[in-house]
Amino acid sequence: MSDTLLEVEELDVRYGDAQALWGVSLTVAQGETVCVVGPNGAGKSTLVNALAGVHRASGGRIRVNGQDTTALPGHRVCAHGVAVVPEGRRIFPRMTVTDNLMLGAYRKGARPSYRETITTVHEMFPRLAERATQLAGNLSGGEQQMLAIGRALMARPTLLLLDEPSLGLAPVRVDEVYDAVQRIAASGVSVVVVEQDVERALAVAARAYLLGEGRVVSSGPAAELRDSPAVRRSVLGL
Amino acid sequence: MNVVQAVLSGALIGGLYALMAIGLSVTWGVLRIINLVHFGLILISAYLTFQLATSWGVDPLLTLLVTVPAMFVAGAALQWLFDRLAVSEFNSLLVSFGLLIITIQVAANIWSADFQRMTASVNPYATASVSLGRLVFPVTTLVAFVLAGVVVLGAHLVLRRTFAGRALRAIAQDSAVAGAFGVDHRRLSLVLGGLVGATAALAGAVFALSNALTPETAYEWFGIVFAVVILGGVGEVTGTLAAGILVGVLSGVVAVVWSPATAPFVLFTAIILALLLRPRGLFAIGAVR
Amino acid sequence: MRRGAIPLFAVLLGLLALAFTGIPSFYLVLLGTVCFWIAQATSWNLLSGYAGYFSFGQAAYVGVGAYTTAVLTGRHGVGFFWTLPIAALLCGLLALGIGAVAFRLGSLRGEIFALLTLAVPFILAAFARINRSVDGGQGTSVPPPDVPGWLGDFQQFQYLLAVAVAGLAVGVAFVIQHSRTGSALAAIHDDEDVAEVLGVPTYRYKMLAIAVGGVLGGLGGSVYALQIGFVTVESVFGLMIPLFVIVMAVLGGRGHWLGPVLGAVLIVTLQDRLTSYGLDEWNAIILGAILAVLVAVAPAGLYARLRSRPLLALAGFVVVCGVLAIANVWGEELDWIVAGLLAAAAAAVLVRRRTTTPVPTPAAAVDKTDVDLPAAPLGEIIVECRGVAKHFGGVHALDDVTLDIREGELIGLVGPNGSGKTTLVNLLSGTFRPTAGEIRVGGADITTLAPHQIAHVGMARTYQIPKPFSSMTVRDNVATAIVFGRTPVSLREARPLADRHLATVALGHLADAYPAQLNLHQRQLLEMARAIAANPKVLLLDEALAGLNPAEVDNAVRVVRRIHSTGITIVIVEHLLRVLNQLATRMVVLDRGTVLADGEPRAVLSDPEVVRAYLGRQAHV
Repeated sequence: MSDTLLEVEELDVRYGDAQALWGVSLTVAQGETVCVVGPNGAGKSTLVNALAGVHRASGGRIRVNGQDTTALPGHRVCAHGVAVVPEGRRIFPRMTVTDNLMLGAYRKGARPSYRETITTVHEMFPRLAERATQLAGNLSGGEQQMLAIGRALMARPTLLLLDEPSLGLAPVRVDEVYDAVQRIAASGVSVVVVEQDVERALAVAARAYLLGEGRVVSSGPAAELRDSPAVRRSVLGL
Repeated sequence: MNVVQAVLSGALIGGLYALMAIGLSVTWGVLRIINLVHFGLILISAYLTFQLATSWGVDPLLTLLVTVPAMFVAGAALQWLFDRLAVSEFNSLLVSFGLLIITIQVAANIWSADFQRMTASVNPYATASVSLGRLVFPVTTLVAFVLAGVVVLGAHLVLRRTFAGRALRAIAQDSAVAGAFGVDHRRLSLVLGGLVGATAALAGAVFALSNALTPETAYEWFGIVFAVVILGGVGEVTGTLAAGILVGVLSGVVAVVWSPATAPFVLFTAIILALLLRPRGLFAIGAVR
Repeated sequence: MRRGAIPLFAVLLGLLALAFTGIPSFYLVLLGTVCFWIAQATSWNLLSGYAGYFSFGQAAYVGVGAYTTAVLTGRHGVGFFWTLPIAALLCGLLALGIGAVAFRLGSLRGEIFALLTLAVPFILAAFARINRSVDGGQGTSVPPPDVPGWLGDFQQFQYLLAVAVAGLAVGVAFVIQHSRTGSALAAIHDDEDVAEVLGVPTYRYKMLAIAVGGVLGGLGGSVYALQIGFVTVESVFGLMIPLFVIVMAVLGGRGHWLGPVLGAVLIVTLQDRLTSYGLDEWNAIILGAILAVLVAVAPAGLYARLRSRPLLALAGFVVVCGVLAIANVWGEELDWIVAGLLAAAAAAVLVRRRTTTPVPTPAAAVDKTDVDLPAAPLGEIIVECRGVAKHFGGVHALDDVTLDIREGELIGLVGPNGSGKTTLVNLLSGTFRPTAGEIRVGGADITTLAPHQIAHVGMARTYQIPKPFSSMTVRDNVATAIVFGRTPVSLREARPLADRHLATVALGHLADAYPAQLNLHQRQLLEMARAIAANPKVLLLDEALAGLNPAEVDNAVRVVRRIHSTGITIVIVEHLLRVLNQLATRMVVLDRGTVLADGEPRAVLSDPEVVRAYLGRQAHV
């Protein structure tokens, strides 16, 4: 399909002698928001890392905009318009907020317009503008999450990957985060949200995938999965 | 007056210390490699400056046109080797120690263990000095300080204001995430290795201007340079300059007030105290609590 | 008497006797040099090889030892034999001083320790150079002492001293390696933090190692002063000394007392041959090359390789040496021997053995009959947390946690990712200190105790990512925990006890394997066995079921039940709620750093707040 942005086919990922993902397949259309939910240890972060090029896949295919990115070295994947907001934020603690954002715009396609992008990011997250010269390590959890999202936006992505953005955040902060995600999605960026907070994820996504023990257990429109008892049981580990 | 002269001269000499230390500090802080071969590169550069000046009558400072590119290549090649070997931070210390020994021996084989010094006819800078009232400053120390200042300023600007600089700092803190944003670790580290080599060439030339050379000299630099690196904070560029000045001033003042040989004590006591009280370095900025 | 002791004595006696056999003095000198380096490399190895704290400062001890003897005998006419204990004392104090500074710096990484120790000889050299009463830059000559006639002439006397010091050093290394201290140092080498948490008083053992190493190094230095006759700053404080020592130990192998011996023999004889052929210049180049190549390629050194293919090495030696001897076209006996030794070493190091990939042997299933959970009345409160908080910079991992744990409970500690579960475990085991609040175990406030003391109060833990001691067998991993547990025993006594704990977790069949050969599940079981080995009162299991397939999970659950039935209170951090449902007597739910719910598992799991925390705000309950 010409408006498929992301196509994952039978993805296998290994960590040493342990296999974390088994034949995972999913698709994301242009401008679509998709969420991946599942209990801990199901492989959600592994999936994000593989898509972002942080971890090598050992089998299967990843195609972004028709281009095969499976075997690309890590630093080349973002050139295809993929940006990641890692689990636990992983901002650069000893660099200022602004420096963190600027690093987001490192890739060639994003550099020329960095001034424009940073203005947009500041509008979306005014607190980042206020704290521009502070060291990222001294920000609160919520602010670090904003920073991580802002940094990803600086790369002017067509595909944004969010790994457990609600992790360790107070509800009102999570609200802010998901408001931002919705605005980003509204601007035409395709979004993949990986989440433990099932309700949030389903509220913001059009389609959902349920991951269990490294495999896709079920998938479908978000509304369907929201009412599914199987999802509840799976996530609670019952 | 003696003390004032000592302080100022010490500060200027501190420039040379900083020049020697900055390469090591940045490599350690950013790439997590303790590259002792850096001392070897400084040594070889010093000898090259000596040789070119003595044999071909080239002005010592002009020899930089040769030594800087040569050491850039050497530095990059070394960095490539370290990358290939994928040694841990600690093992890099050992491997580079081994390589340093080899370098020093090669220098001894080529130039012998005798002290070599550029004669005054070849090296006009050795005896030149600038006077400011009753204070006298040898030109060589001024050159050292100016070069150090330029290098530090340049490094500071690059690290703080350019994309490449940010990329380097990001690699030091979270190389995997930096990669996810397009930072090519390999290529950047090669360039950094080359630039560090270039600073070694500068330091070597300056050293050769005012000192006699012998292969064993490389070992004598260890103490001072590591003092500067640790006091300044590993990877902190401006901190290195400040620490270099501090060390220079301290050594100079102690030499005048007590005796020249007491300086190493005071220096190392200072390091130990610094490590105890501020392990990140006296001048480390950006401490995240 | 241990296995190696008798051959050791025999060799020692043989070497001593050699002095009186009338062999050419050239050989005595060479052997004397070998002995000097054996002593230095071995004494260095105590801290730097066994415990892994690489020191670049061996020259400090040699220098202090040498100067003590030189100054006392040369300038003050003190009898040579009196200078030995004085040198030993001074070096011991110096070593303790270095240790007191270096080991107290909590954030001290290996590289900084190495550099600190590098600075020490520099300072001492500077001191000696300035101080007229020590050296003053002129050097000090050492007059030959009065040697009792029966010890032979001066040559023989020096040789005997060198052998005696080397023998002492190797003997001490041998004894330490097989003692409690050796186990402690090995544990510190593999993972100091884990060792500390298991009950090893790491600071004490490191100080012991550094002090003994210093004393031996100093004795060697005293004898060295006699050998060189004229002591200068460069000759005894020079950088060549630590370089040689490091290369010898790295070449020979740092985990075993034989390693430095092998390295010293090889390097000294090689150097000697190079010098005799006028190839002095290649000296340093070869040393440097050996160091660089070894560290990159075969960091474990010769000893390990020789041990695994002794015949190959022997064959190499015999062939090369034999061929040269028979052909007799080049060199003399010593050359052939050295060439043979090099060939043996090369054969051992270079010939690649097919690496055995870890075979994932299936974990032996624990006896399937479920152990009945004894309906024991709950005991006293043994752990109390009051208002505990932990902040990392701007991130509040835990805030105001108040909790009581009673003896005999099996508590499931749950919560969404990032809720602070592992942080709480880290606080309870002493890995971190709380930012605020109090934690009491058995009435004692543990927030001021060192981790090894907390272990002795009865707290044990496992790690989410297993951290076994990689250089020890499975059995020894567990035995080490017993050795340093609340009731100290020797390693020998601990081993059968370890087997019992291994049986509890059904790892008995792998007792002689090394952790690298175990799969994830087996390593987690090893973690558990090691944790219960010291008979703790409370066991903290941090995600012990992570990454397991369903069969392995069931197995692990049975093991946990077994452990619980022996009377140990357990706190298990887990995600698999279905597991905890069956296992736990009580559930504590953490959310964003605070306690959300605490009570009977079924009740807690159906608490809407809890469900909401996991599924999200508008969850339909």
